[in-house]
Amino acid sequence: MNVNKKLSSFEMFSMTLILIGMKLSDTTPSLFAQKSQNALWYIPFLAFLIVLPSFFVIMYLLEKVQAKHLVNLFELLLGKLLGKGLAFFIFLLSFLMISLDSRNYVEQIKTLYFERSSSLIIFVLFCVVCVFGAIRGIEVIGYTSKVLIPFLTASLVLVIFLVYEHMIWERIYPIFGSGLQFVLKESLFKGSIFADFILLTMAYSSFKKPSDFKIGGLIALFIAVLEITFLFLIYATVFDYNSIEKVSFPFHEITQYVQLGDFFTNIETFFMVFWLLATFLRFILLLYLQTWLFGAIFNIDEFELLVLPLGFLSMVIGLIPDNSVVTELVYRNQLLDLLTPVLIVLPFLLLAIYTLRRKQVT
Amino acid sequence: MRKKKAQTQQKQTLSSDFVNNLDQLKNCFSYGVNNDFSIRLLQAKYNNKELALCYYASLVNSDKIEQSLISPLLEQEGASIFAIITAESVKKITLLEEVIENITSGKVVLLMQDEKVAFSIDVSNFQHRAVSQSEIESVVRGPKEAFTESIHVNISLIRKQVRNSQLITEVLKVGERSQQDIQLVYNKQIVNQELLDDIRQRINKIKVDNVPNLESLEQYIEERPYSIFPTIFYTERPDNASTYIDRGHVVLLMESSASCLILPVTFWTFFHNPEDRYARVAFGNFSRLIRYIALFFTLMISAIYVALANFHSEMIPPDLLLAITAARERVPFPLILEVIIMEVAFELIREAGIRIPSPLGPTIGIVGALILGQAAVEANIISPIIVIVSALSGLTSFAISDPSFNFTVRISRFIFIIAAGVFGMFSLMSALILWLMYVVSLKSFGVPYLAPLSPTFKSNRDVYFRRALKKERWRPAYLLPKDLQNMNKNK
Repeated sequence: MNVNKKLSSFEMFSMTLILIGMKLSDTTPSLFAQKSQNALWYIPFLAFLIVLPSFFVIMYLLEKVQAKHLVNLFELLLGKLLGKGLAFFIFLLSFLMISLDSRNYVEQIKTLYFERSSSLIIFVLFCVVCVFGAIRGIEVIGYTSKVLIPFLTASLVLVIFLVYEHMIWERIYPIFGSGLQFVLKESLFKGSIFADFILLTMAYSSFKKPSDFKIGGLIALFIAVLEITFLFLIYATVFDYNSIEKVSFPFHEITQYVQLGDFFTNIETFFMVFWLLATFLRFILLLYLQTWLFGAIFNIDEFELLVLPLGFLSMVIGLIPDNSVVTELVYRNQLLDLLTPVLIVLPFLLLAIYTLRRKQVT
Repeated sequence: MRKKKAQTQQKQTLSSDFVNNLDQLKNCFSYGVNNDFSIRLLQAKYNNKELALCYYASLVNSDKIEQSLISPLLEQEGASIFAIITAESVKKITLLEEVIENITSGKVVLLMQDEKVAFSIDVSNFQHRAVSQSEIESVVRGPKEAFTESIHVNISLIRKQVRNSQLITEVLKVGERSQQDIQLVYNKQIVNQELLDDIRQRINKIKVDNVPNLESLEQYIEERPYSIFPTIFYTERPDNASTYIDRGHVVLLMESSASCLILPVTFWTFFHNPEDRYARVAFGNFSRLIRYIALFFTLMISAIYVALANFHSEMIPPDLLLAITAARERVPFPLILEVIIMEVAFELIREAGIRIPSPLGPTIGIVGALILGQAAVEANIISPIIVIVSALSGLTSFAISDPSFNFTVRISRFIFIIAAGVFGMFSLMSALILWLMYVVSLKSFGVPYLAPLSPTFKSNRDVYFRRALKKERWRPAYLLPKDLQNMNKNK
């Protein structure tokens, strides 16, 4: 029987929320806090406002050109060679980003729960799960996200509820943290924390209607930004001006802070369960989209077969940096700064080309 | 080549030579050696011709033969044979193959002198058990009767609940040497045509000598024989069958199976219980809630215990942790081994309990559960906490009433325990997410396993919990029924 198995807007919503919303629980807040201290909480919001037009432009172009996915869009607008070249450039950047990101998560797991284990083994297990998950395809990833999103949201709400008593609102002052110019510069250059969303356009054709992609994606983006902003605000008000830059994993730190009544005093493992599920889903999705991007660039139809080699490669790249401090403060920071201009300029460049070549393209 | 020849030989028609026909039949059924194959010769009164009644004495009702065949033929006058025989069903047949098939399925075949056709009269009387109470899927509130090993009785149990002329019982044949009937029962106005074709095709593809019953049929038509998840629902309750027929599912029945197969199905079919619907909304949902807790316990409690006690002991409150450590102090095994020993022991008792002759059952149960457990704790082989944990996970597994799904849960439990032993919560969640993605990727006859939760389809949203019956207005759209609405026009 031929049941329509394409994705709908709710699946898009869940995938986007997991993909973007997870930023609240990794090392992004501590990266922001290095430069801006307790003003970190509104940086994501400002950064989002800066990159939002780009997302609109990309979605507009996808719809107008009737492209199947991102690579297809580039090809239609820029011609085959240039389009593929550009796509490959994006692939390299995002692949590096994801490799470093996954190392980042592995380090979190190691530091918080398995101090005496080697990162290699955790990384291998992590990659095995991502590979086996990604092989199941975008539909299954979407459906699984949808099944899990209520539970993940519920756990987040519980964290917020429990941590509420530890918040001291006065700690948002000084409102500009270390200084307005630092905050603005940081907002301008860290728009790329939302760059993963661009990768989701690879799945553009697996939705029932193009509007499912647009509506689900946009709603999820707004909710994710609000969620991130609110959680960052909690970090700022719980940890305060000076100590916040010394906290490397604020989310896990606050789950260690909270307690459920007098009997259950250490419930961080409970929240870790949901955090792990979301993390796995996020990297499964990223790995799949990466592989899809790669397959589309080199015209490989059965790109699912590449999940294993690419997963392995990303693990190897992720293992290159010596330690998590270097990964976080040097490589990831620079890569984010590098990616942002691309993310801001490129869509408008494409839009300009589209207006010039409108007749040829459509 | 030879097989082909044999087939064409069997396709031969009856000749007008009565003796020849009879000889062929005697040959086919090894008359004389084959004890219960009987031929009764007689002379009809109405046309004075020789007649032969051929049948298996063990399959037919001899009183009925005597009353509706032999005595009318010997005594009555009439224009044709149809006016004389009083049995309710008489059919003309012309092929030798048909004659053989009719005799093996319990009919009397009447051969007549100078006739090229034979008559098949239904007087079959297959022995079967009476309709009895449902034992595996028992309910407190709701019909108690269960299917029995007779296809006619089973169909009548379904028809009793679905009074609809559109309810079709279609026959398909399966088996090369021993031909068995499979009855497809469905509502013609609702069921999806593609689904029916798919089922027919899968059944026609079976090329084996014999498919004795539904239990083996299930394994021939399912998509993934090695999967730990069942994709066809096996139930002994006629009310289940009729509910699912009304929704647009197809039910398969076979002779000598006291149950039916329902397909396609989803995860929820296995988890929901008919009583959820018979009880009022609040009561039904409460019992569902309890079953969710049971499902969580039976799948996870042992694994979580392994993960927490081995890797995340900081999460256990200090008093409890001290109690656990004190109890484990004199136990020589590592914790995971201890859990596996206990879980395996429980499975052993369970398996033995099913095979044990019933008079011995309770005694062995007491020996197994009480004495063995107590002695093992006193001998410091296992700690008392493990007894509690594994007893909890074992007992809660009984709340999952469906026998196939019960196996799924029990096998998954071992996967999770082993996963939890590797890297605590990290590996346990790895296993869980892969397990979940596997569940999501499964399909039963094209229907996603977690539908209508994910992917979403129009339905009554009877997923985690059900709504009031008055609000149920849709058939599940994932079955692509011909008639989606109309289930209930209440507003």
